[in-house]
Amino acid sequence: MNTTPAIQAPAIELRGLRKTFGSITAVAGIDLTIRPGEVVALLGPNGAGKSTTIDLALGLATPTEGTAALFGEAPRAAIVSGRVGAMLQGGALLPDLTVAQAVALIASAHRHPLSVAEALERAKCTEIAKQRVSKLSGGQAQRARFAVAIVSNPDLMFLDEPTAAMDVEARRTFWQSMREFTDAGRTVVFATHYLDEADAYADRIVMMAGGRVVADGTPGEVKAVVSGRRIRMSFDFDWTPAVEAELYELPGVRSVERRSDVLSLVSDDSDAALRTLLSNHDDVHDIEVTAHSMDDAFLALTQAAELPAPLPERAQRVEGPDSTPFDSATPRSGSSTSTDDDTALIGDRS
Amino acid sequence: MSIAYLGLESVRQLKNVRSLVFTFAVPLVMLLLFGGIYGAGGAFDKVTGLPWIVVTTVQMAGYGGMMAALGQAFTIVTERSVGWNRQLRLTALNGVGYLISKVAAALVVALMSIVALIVISVLVFHSSLSFAGWTMAALGLWLGVIPFAFIAVLIGQFAKPQYAQPLFMVIFLGMAILGGLWVPLSILPDWMSNIAQVVPSYWLNRLGQMGAHLSGDVLEPMLVLLAWTVALGAVIVWRYRKDAARQ
Repeated sequence: MNTTPAIQAPAIELRGLRKTFGSITAVAGIDLTIRPGEVVALLGPNGAGKSTTIDLALGLATPTEGTAALFGEAPRAAIVSGRVGAMLQGGALLPDLTVAQAVALIASAHRHPLSVAEALERAKCTEIAKQRVSKLSGGQAQRARFAVAIVSNPDLMFLDEPTAAMDVEARRTFWQSMREFTDAGRTVVFATHYLDEADAYADRIVMMAGGRVVADGTPGEVKAVVSGRRIRMSFDFDWTPAVEAELYELPGVRSVERRSDVLSLVSDDSDAALRTLLSNHDDVHDIEVTAHSMDDAFLALTQAAELPAPLPERAQRVEGPDSTPFDSATPRSGSSTSTDDDTALIGDRS
Repeated sequence: MSIAYLGLESVRQLKNVRSLVFTFAVPLVMLLLFGGIYGAGGAFDKVTGLPWIVVTTVQMAGYGGMMAALGQAFTIVTERSVGWNRQLRLTALNGVGYLISKVAAALVVALMSIVALIVISVLVFHSSLSFAGWTMAALGLWLGVIPFAFIAVLIGQFAKPQYAQPLFMVIFLGMAILGGLWVPLSILPDWMSNIAQVVPSYWLNRLGQMGAHLSGDVLEPMLVLLAWTVALGAVIVWRYRKDAARQ
């Protein structure tokens, strides 16, 4: 039973995973290995296939092709032994129970659960234990669901957009209890579309778009890809190839676009680019500097992923800003990327 | 499948009294109404050889038990619509465990309904039947309710919230009429009493009558009910495994 390979087996191993619903392909071939102790963010826009991937990894949905294994065994076996917990989308608690009752009910369906009090404590739910689920705020409800997910004392935790309904304070509390969970060397995979969350809490980011993994690396590596800001301005000078070439020479510039008398630059070092531009030209006005949106980054990465891949794997590890996979989407890869921290803290929150 | 889970789940369902009141009120009114019409004279039913009031009581207690069991369908539909079954699929609870917990809960509420209706009939109409007769009648009805508990789980597993009510009504009305729970089969056409032989509600009623009689051949009803139970149970377990994917 407890053979050595099972102990060393990856926490999650997905091989050639595909899932189609009729003519729609939700997951288009994913190979992913996550080792015990990793904290991984599945980052991607809605419809990227994050939730379906989690469902497949847990064995809640049957893959069209490919296999999923947790700790070297079938997902169901890992769940039955209590090694896996999850907070899923569309997996709410019964509204007429109290938080403590919900945790107790789920605990009784596990083989070796924690005590209800301990699960509540770990999820910071002790003070809401007696409240009915229907009366909880969005953040409290998520914490209650975390208590239910943690009650089997799992080694691996899946969280599907855990902070979606939370305000800032609730998110902080939630991630604090998550830290305590991961500090004990446990594995966490969480899906999110907030880059800042992935950056702050994950030690590996797996970016998904169109049912594929389009980037996989440390937060630093992935941040470099989506960094950069857009500088937009109106100009009065004549548009000539010489001017265009000059603009490309500005610090960190990746792309230059012109639409009638509006100019748009993307630069990895927008401050320096703007300073140089303004010292050379006083005939620009209505200047706007905006953060690169995540949508831009995903679009770029998806387009890169859809090109015929010369390598056997479609998804390639991000090596840094100069790596090739993203050059197709960003024609002029920046020479130096001085990524200051807040540049990359781009969420698509409104 | 832990006993603790079974206990917590059954207690939870019992607290859900609101649905019970409705499933209990209709058979109670019908019992008082028909009992007053047919039972007052103390006449005997020629087909079963039992007093009319006993026949009516068995009929209504069977009807009440069946409704109470079928009512579990709504509980399950609600639970599924909030995603509770996805939550359960992340535990050690397997398809058989789920089936047992749900059927047990349905049978507990059904037994309460059956016993309450019989007790009320005895108190109101002083229906003459031995204690053993009533006990066996209740037991027979309770066994007969088992397939309905399975049908309830199945409706709960398949119906979307907006279709649960009509589906429940169709199955419930069909079962009540075909099984002779409302109108005695003797006054219905022959072809309908032939169909009745394969409908669990017919045997629900017959088991209750046999119990009241303290005699009768229980082999055939047992086989019919067993066939329904096994077939429905297989579908439920299969469905539980499939049901966890996002809707």
